[in-house]
Amino acid sequence: MSRQAARKAAPKGEYIETDSGNKVSRRAHITGTANITLGGRTVIQADVHLRGDLHPTRASTRTDHSAKEQYPTAISIGRCTVISQGVVIRPPHRATGRLHEKRAGIGVEYYPVKVGDNVFVGPNSTISAIHIASHVHIGANTVIHPFVIIKENCKILPNSIIPAHMVIPSGSVVGGQPARVIGEVGEGWGVSAGGMGGAGMGGGGGNGEGPPMWVEGGDLRELVRSIK
Amino acid sequence: MAQPFPYTYYVCDCYDSKTKVSAKRSSQPPPADDEDERTFDPRNPRSNYSLYPLEHLLYCEDCQQIRCSRCVIEETLNWYCPSCLFEVPSSLVKSEGNRCARNCYNCPVCISPMTVNELPKDPSEDDGNGPFYLYCNYCHWSTIEIGIEFERHTQITHQLQRIANGGKPIPTPKEREKERERRRESEWKRKDDIPEINVSHDVDPEPSPDDTFAALASFYKGQIQASTTSSPFSPHDLDFSSPSSFSRIMNMYTSTSSKKTKREKPTPMREAASTFEGLTLHDSTTDSDAIDRIRREGWSITLSPAQKHAQPNPNIRFTSELRPIATLLRTKRGKRCRNCRHILSKPEAKITSTRYKIKLLALNHIPKLHLRALPPPASTPQPTFGSSILTPLPIQPPFDYDHLKPGIPTHFLLTLTNPLFDPIRVTLATPSTTPGKVHSRVTILCPQFEIGANTDVWDDAMSSTITPIRRGSVVGPDGQIQSGIEAGKVWDKGRNWTSIVMEVLPGFLDERQRPSDLSSSFSSDRGGVAENDGHLGWVDDEDEELGVDDDVLEIPIFVRLEFESDAMGEERVVGEDRGKGDKVKREEAFWSVVGVGRIAG
Repeated sequence: MSRQAARKAAPKGEYIETDSGNKVSRRAHITGTANITLGGRTVIQADVHLRGDLHPTRASTRTDHSAKEQYPTAISIGRCTVISQGVVIRPPHRATGRLHEKRAGIGVEYYPVKVGDNVFVGPNSTISAIHIASHVHIGANTVIHPFVIIKENCKILPNSIIPAHMVIPSGSVVGGQPARVIGEVGEGWGVSAGGMGGAGMGGGGGNGEGPPMWVEGGDLRELVRSIK
Repeated sequence: MAQPFPYTYYVCDCYDSKTKVSAKRSSQPPPADDEDERTFDPRNPRSNYSLYPLEHLLYCEDCQQIRCSRCVIEETLNWYCPSCLFEVPSSLVKSEGNRCARNCYNCPVCISPMTVNELPKDPSEDDGNGPFYLYCNYCHWSTIEIGIEFERHTQITHQLQRIANGGKPIPTPKEREKERERRRESEWKRKDDIPEINVSHDVDPEPSPDDTFAALASFYKGQIQASTTSSPFSPHDLDFSSPSSFSRIMNMYTSTSSKKTKREKPTPMREAASTFEGLTLHDSTTDSDAIDRIRREGWSITLSPAQKHAQPNPNIRFTSELRPIATLLRTKRGKRCRNCRHILSKPEAKITSTRYKIKLLALNHIPKLHLRALPPPASTPQPTFGSSILTPLPIQPPFDYDHLKPGIPTHFLLTLTNPLFDPIRVTLATPSTTPGKVHSRVTILCPQFEIGANTDVWDDAMSSTITPIRRGSVVGPDGQIQSGIEAGKVWDKGRNWTSIVMEVLPGFLDERQRPSDLSSSFSSDRGGVAENDGHLGWVDDEDEELGVDDDVLEIPIFVRLEFESDAMGEERVVGEDRGKGDKVKREEAFWSVVGVGRIAG
């Protein structure tokens, strides 16, 4: 786990590569970098908005004051996850405080977003989920409303709108507006035929001569490698 | 779920070839070149049931065949609620009607999950005890609209069972049973000869469907009992120890047909004749009331068919009658081969686990086909192209699979990946013109080739330096990569994959325009019409007109593999031959369908 802030000086290119192999586009809009963790070998493409500034504030009251120095995590993204162009990740929030508590006022409490490993998020999606497990494939133009939980091995079809507080069990195919579970992924979801293996492909990735290097829901390492 | 182009579907072996032929004859005329009846037709209506993406297919190692969802037996391991992810014991599943008995509810309007929210009566007295309600975060429907509030935020199902729309309490089944008994008593007292149909004394004019069902069930049970108590065939009063019943049983077996006719006919059963017996009376005033209501309040208070269908009582009409829908349960299922009953897939029983104990995937047994467009270097000679031969690929715009150009030969790369640990010899076959209304010409330039074994990745790293075929990087003397395409030769080869070139001549959507110019305005108009047809879902009977998705170019490809595998799997069968050699020759064949794209008009 490395802070995204720990970037090293890189030659001018589309992506800034961190020590742990995260690739962050220079054209990404990231606020509150201290509150964002990237697991390593994760790609943040251009025009991605990561709203790390919307971090939980209550954490300091819950824990000891010694822990106050630490940054609360607003967005944590696992390894080999690809966040495509134009995606907005915004931690979910809800109003806190009772209506009558005049002195406290009505506050807004943010909750951290957790995204697992090998998650693909399609272009122009908006994500406010509280938890997205590993090996989830999210299609383009998807809207995920606050406090959604997506379990492992799910496929979210493009242009879906997932209503707030929805829990999507593992192995579901989800689509529609509002989204509902419309099917199950096959047993072979995320299994790449013949182990793939990247050697000898000349770094081709999607453009190479060989078979596709990655499958939806599978290991996205090769896809991450091919993004330059 | 439509897949983006290009896709590959695999045909399961359980596809019934006999019915296929007859269906083909009746539905559409066979293509001109269809002398071979075994040619798979992806446009056949039956094909819908045999084409699967590879990840949905399993493989039975004992039958050595692909198994699809039609030729496996599913066995439910457990039931769980997809919303709260709690397992539901199988004993409860039936009584709860396959629905979650916790707090999981879906919106009756839009099927989104609902949340329990608090509605403090008085903001100053907000202590978390205020009434609660179910709320849909998506369409903002709430149970307040049907006049239902809850006292507690837990056990919603329990509370909901006792509240009718509008907040009136529903009597418990016990109370209703008592009420029925009471009414029955009064009915018996009044009864003279015929049970009189009388609704005036009814306090509750509309019993719930559950009540009606219970009443009907008890009524018919009583009828059956009344009519069969004297019957010798009733299993309940059959006493095997008594000699009389024994003789009766013997009579049953020895009696001839003539004796059977002598048996007296059972007395005809009476139908339910009063509401307490389950009779539902149609009251014409309810209809006129409903019409009046629609006239007053408009169509917006009525329900869509989908909304009605999702309701526990599908006969309701108005939004005021909606009830929140308890979430339907989901199952974890194991799969067995229908032929040999061997387990093909078995997930771990735990709800949260996503692992499998057993998973025999077709992915690991049959080669994966993947199609990709070969950038057409010759067809688009750009002036700047020649100067930048060294990096031709980045210049090419991404291939548009949704607008294949009719009449222009296009090259595609078909890559086969071998998941087996033995090298395989592959033979491909395809009809020279695609079946369907649009005839596209397909040529596989290299139908026979070999694919290396799926060995360790590092073996390839070592060997790739020795045998780089890399036909694609060969640049001809005229500066064209096209020179790499040769009939009978593979395009490229890797550790466990081989690419070959396939030439496709997409057919014309409109046969009349074949000789004419492609860019004529007429052709684009035609394309637009075809597109519209597809969206509106019209199916044209005329051969001239294109139906839904007739412009999709799908190529059936027959794949046959030969390989020599270790005899490990067949040791039980050929145990005697083990001394002769460790290798067993095996053969496998299947049909696949490659969806190339949509032909532009």
